[in-house]
Amino acid sequence: MIEEFHYQIPWRTSSAHPGRHPGKHSGGEHDFQGHAPLISRPEAHNIDVHASLLDPFQQYVVRTFRQRSVINVTVIADLSASMGFQNKMATLAKFTEQTAYSAYRSGDHFGFMGCGEDIIPEFYMPPRWYKGGTAELAESLRHYHPASTNAKGLLTVQEYCPRHRALIFLVSDFHYPLQDIATLFDSLLKHDVIPVVMWHPDEYEQLPEWGLFTLSDPETGREKTLLMRPGLKKKIIQAFNAQREQLKHLFIRYGRQPFYLNDAFEADQMTRYFYEQ
Amino acid sequence: MSALPQTGEGRALDIALTYPWALLLLPLTLVPFFARQAKSLRYSSLSILPFDGLSFFFSNGVKLLTALVMLLLIVSLTKPYLKEQTVERMGKGAQIVILLDRSASMNENFAGRYFGGGASESKVAMARQLLSEFVLQRQDDFFGMISFSTAPIHVLPLTQDKEAILAAIRATKTRGRGVTNIAPGLYMGLSYFSDIPVTGSRVILLVSDGAAKIDIDTQTTLTQLFHQNRVMLYWVYLRNKDSARLDTKPANINESTTPEYFLHQYFQSMGIPYRSFEAENPQALQEAIKAIGELENKPIRYTEKIPRKDLAETCYLWTLAGLFVLLLIKYFEVKTEQKLIKRYL
Repeated sequence: MIEEFHYQIPWRTSSAHPGRHPGKHSGGEHDFQGHAPLISRPEAHNIDVHASLLDPFQQYVVRTFRQRSVINVTVIADLSASMGFQNKMATLAKFTEQTAYSAYRSGDHFGFMGCGEDIIPEFYMPPRWYKGGTAELAESLRHYHPASTNAKGLLTVQEYCPRHRALIFLVSDFHYPLQDIATLFDSLLKHDVIPVVMWHPDEYEQLPEWGLFTLSDPETGREKTLLMRPGLKKKIIQAFNAQREQLKHLFIRYGRQPFYLNDAFEADQMTRYFYEQ
Repeated sequence: MSALPQTGEGRALDIALTYPWALLLLPLTLVPFFARQAKSLRYSSLSILPFDGLSFFFSNGVKLLTALVMLLLIVSLTKPYLKEQTVERMGKGAQIVILLDRSASMNENFAGRYFGGGASESKVAMARQLLSEFVLQRQDDFFGMISFSTAPIHVLPLTQDKEAILAAIRATKTRGRGVTNIAPGLYMGLSYFSDIPVTGSRVILLVSDGAAKIDIDTQTTLTQLFHQNRVMLYWVYLRNKDSARLDTKPANINESTTPEYFLHQYFQSMGIPYRSFEAENPQALQEAIKAIGELENKPIRYTEKIPRKDLAETCYLWTLAGLFVLLLIKYFEVKTEQKLIKRYL
């Protein structure tokens, strides 16, 4: 069974299609918007008796509502080689599957874009209503070995994003200069972007205390030999924490706290994330 | 005895290579600095890792060591060697030219009985025996050897090679021939010294059982040469019972019947350090040689040739040592990602 999470947005979508989220259009009968004279809105079943009695002009007043609409939920994933570390792809697949399923269950449209040096056609799914989620996409993600040397494609995704403001999960390890991340977020300002930071504890917290090993960077091809010792491990963890702090400051500037995704991810964490906002 | 090796200047230049073309492989030593490690662990991104000085120096040290090992191996392949060297040494001893009489009479014993070449009682056999012992006792002396009878035979130039000189002495086992003709032998003996530097006492050890007349011109030339080359003369005179004595004037004095007396007179008159030993029996001969051994113990400076020395073996040994260190480092290296992550389950 696919777990699902509940998401909510603090903005109104301009989409006209009926759905679950607050929209900008009038209509429906769930989201009270205000009062209007019966003359302008001849909807007798919406007459508000109390408001009509209190009306200084002694007109009949009807309640007006805003429509609830669908939104686009899009997952934009960084599929550069650094995402091949440990089981990050499996985690990404699981997250994508759950997001797609949650969107389906909310009646929302789901889209997916995987980016290497460019958008990878195999991992481009236009925003649609995918019935029952996207099991195939998850499956192919799970078996994908990212090999791109950068994730420049991310900077072009805004061209393929939905027209209306969408809820975007931007999944990446964000091992980039802050400047580049800021540029990326600038290009996506129109949308509600939730930064999903994929760090694996093996990258820093679970490194051994002692040891001699050579690490290779799959993107630049560079190598670094580390003579591991408790002091160095502490330094590495500190470096990651400093990066975490910097990322947090950057993301808050763009309106969302980062969500940290690792292999211990459970859908309920995401539900809680939305409640905490 | 003390021999102090004095290393000549520019000794490093004396290294030569047997297969210099192997040096073409030298660019390979740069490989460790550019090649990727065989076993590197996949990581996400190195950009976030802090710079670590110790790791930096260690990894570069390992690369340097690898390059060094490769360099050593390449140098080993060229089979380097240390060229033949001449080393100046200080020793106690002399330059001694043995001038051994090989005339027919040397095959007689002291009683005048004739033996074959291989007999052990003959005078030459005695002389051989005692000279061998003498040579063995004298560690730092240079020995040269000349056999002479009617004409001198160049046997061995001045050398320190004990084996060679002993072999030369042993080679006198063949039967002696001809008469005792001393002057050409002395000439040749003196020529041994003519083109080498004076580095210590120089001795001609004349072992003979008789003498011959030397004409007056030859005498003058010989005297000059003895002075010029600063050579001392020791004469071991193996005397038969009925032969003339050296220092007592014989009764019928005549240059052809008693040339020994006149030769002795001449040697004494030369004005060089000269000693004669009359040996009438094996014991006397032994004593005479013992006396010479005690005489010549002055310090000597000489140059010695050291044969070329193969350095490839040393190079291979160092390569092996370096490889061992590298292997040790590789052994302790974490090679798989599974081993890297210690999971606390």
